[in-house]
Amino acid sequence: MTIFLQSLLSGVLIGGVYALIGVGLTIIFGVMRIINFAHGELVMLGMYAAYFLFTLGHVDPFVSIVFVFPLLFLFGAVLQKTVINRVLNALPQNQILLTIGIGLILSNTMMLLFTSDYRIISTAYSSGSFRVGEISVSAPLLVSFVITAAVTAVLYWFLLKTDTGQAIRATAQDRDAAQLMGVNVRRMSVLATGLGAGLAAVAGALISPTYYIFPQVGQPFTLKAFVIVVLGGMGSVMGATVGGVIIGATESLAGAYISSGLKDLVVYVLFLLILLFKPAGLFGKSRV
Amino acid sequence: MKRLVPLLLAALLVAPAIPLAQIKIGVINSMTGPQAPIGENLTNGIKLAEEDLAAKGIKVQLIWEDDTGKPQVGLSAMDKLATRDNVAGVVGAYTSAVTNAVAKKAEQYKVPLVNPVASKEEITRQGYKYVFRVSATTGDYAAILLDLATTLGKPKSIAILSENTDFGVSGAKSARAYAEKKGIKVVFEEAYSPGSPDYRSTLVKVKGASPDLMFMVSYVADAITLMRQSRELQLTPMAFLGAGAGFSTAEFASEKNISHGVFSSTQWTPDVSWPGSKAFGERYQKRFGKVPTYHAANAYTAMLILGEAAAKAGGDREKIAAALHAGSWDGLFGPVKFEDFDGYTNQNRHQMLVEQVQNGQYFTVWPPALQSAKPIWPFPGWK
Repeated sequence: MTIFLQSLLSGVLIGGVYALIGVGLTIIFGVMRIINFAHGELVMLGMYAAYFLFTLGHVDPFVSIVFVFPLLFLFGAVLQKTVINRVLNALPQNQILLTIGIGLILSNTMMLLFTSDYRIISTAYSSGSFRVGEISVSAPLLVSFVITAAVTAVLYWFLLKTDTGQAIRATAQDRDAAQLMGVNVRRMSVLATGLGAGLAAVAGALISPTYYIFPQVGQPFTLKAFVIVVLGGMGSVMGATVGGVIIGATESLAGAYISSGLKDLVVYVLFLLILLFKPAGLFGKSRV
Repeated sequence: MKRLVPLLLAALLVAPAIPLAQIKIGVINSMTGPQAPIGENLTNGIKLAEEDLAAKGIKVQLIWEDDTGKPQVGLSAMDKLATRDNVAGVVGAYTSAVTNAVAKKAEQYKVPLVNPVASKEEITRQGYKYVFRVSATTGDYAAILLDLATTLGKPKSIAILSENTDFGVSGAKSARAYAEKKGIKVVFEEAYSPGSPDYRSTLVKVKGASPDLMFMVSYVADAITLMRQSRELQLTPMAFLGAGAGFSTAEFASEKNISHGVFSSTQWTPDVSWPGSKAFGERYQKRFGKVPTYHAANAYTAMLILGEAAAKAGGDREKIAAALHAGSWDGLFGPVKFEDFDGYTNQNRHQMLVEQVQNGQYFTVWPPALQSAKPIWPFPGWK
């Protein structure tokens, strides 16, 4: 029972961070119908930003998200305006090639600038924990989960209550109709990419105190985010949030009860099963 | 492109003017990709060897190939080196997975391959005549650690946690075999897939098995993640034993919270009493601004040996292989000789060492004859 609770808890906590990465990807996809294969690299940039703020500016990685988010928001927005915008109406394979290319350029530029050394943020709480009964709760993971929940809440409020948020959702639902209703879809695309990049970077900053940072660290996160988004339903923010937590918990439980070497396998089997019975994803609307 | 053609032709015409004494040696290494941080140690070690060869009047032309940590990339690098560049020999690769693949190719092409660090046992157990290994094997990694543990204490059980790569699986297999030979019960064994941010569920299971010894085989940064999460879960065995790689890097040691008291098997340390070790460590640090890991010394030695043998044999592959098989060397890596024994061919019997992190610094603690500090036993608990 202890093993079950312990695994479930750490899985859900880490799943919160996965969810944040997935939400960023799903917003970008929703608004522009482009799968951002450079998403993991944006997570990586967020990690580096947190790292340098920590080592040079002595900013705590959890506090650093206040700087990391606007920084990467700007980066994402510029990226959309200068590069991604040009392929909006291009063939899907061209879009895929473009984002993969951006990812490669980002990771290799970071390698040129900062070498491939592993960087580690060591805070007083990096391996801290406290006990609740038999279960030990990782302090940094709990804090990052709380921040993730707060960020997600703000995001929901933004998307549901504000005019701009509603315009983003309208663009995601039907780009042409939104445009006819007077929504500036170009601006929404820029905003969505900025938002997606910012969220990915925040996720990166949040796991940086317990993980490690190197230029190629992003690639597995791209894949994970992609699975989360497809699982939750392409373009569904709710779906990505739930999907992230499901993937986190599944990984952790599979690690505990089957084998940690096979946890990815379990995740993908679950992924296939959900797609088999609910092809549009958990919260996706079938587009027929 | 058109403009390049005459240039290339000119280069071809000029080429014979370069003195023939220069010997081409290929290097296959993980210069980019997730293994790059350790790959860098190999690169730097090889560069120092190149300088020392030049000082002896042996001019080698190195042809660098990056395998990015992937066997298939390593294979095409070997194809290129053996056929297009026509090298006299190759030093490489870094990881066991790549080296195992490359070794087969080297044997087919009859190109002498000197393997600096890859320690999967099978690499030199396939009767290859052109594959030479300076490095110790994973069996040695496990054996020296368990020798230390059984001498200092009386451990009854062991948990083995390894990553599911060639190096990890081979390391775990050797550890199980040796532990059983020593009468230590294996209470937990699992291979994990590397790079995950969360190993807690696995470590909880380890804790449930409450082993006396915790043996881990991990590359670079997973070692830190595993130890951090072990601390979170307050996992306290009699000793943490790491099989080199991720447990013997400066980054790991500098994490004092989690590294204090952890043992790691290693092939070389700057403070070991082999001739020239200390000087090599200082020279490396001065030149590259970092403390070298054993990988640097292994790669240095491999390049030096191959360079000398190749120069003596005038670049003839068959003669080089014969010279490597017959020769013996002594230097900062201790004595090196490629021997055939116990199913191995051209395998160096290397004396393994155990280092322990004590307050953020590595000390050689085993074997007693070569130690620079007394081992701390048992695990002193978390700071």
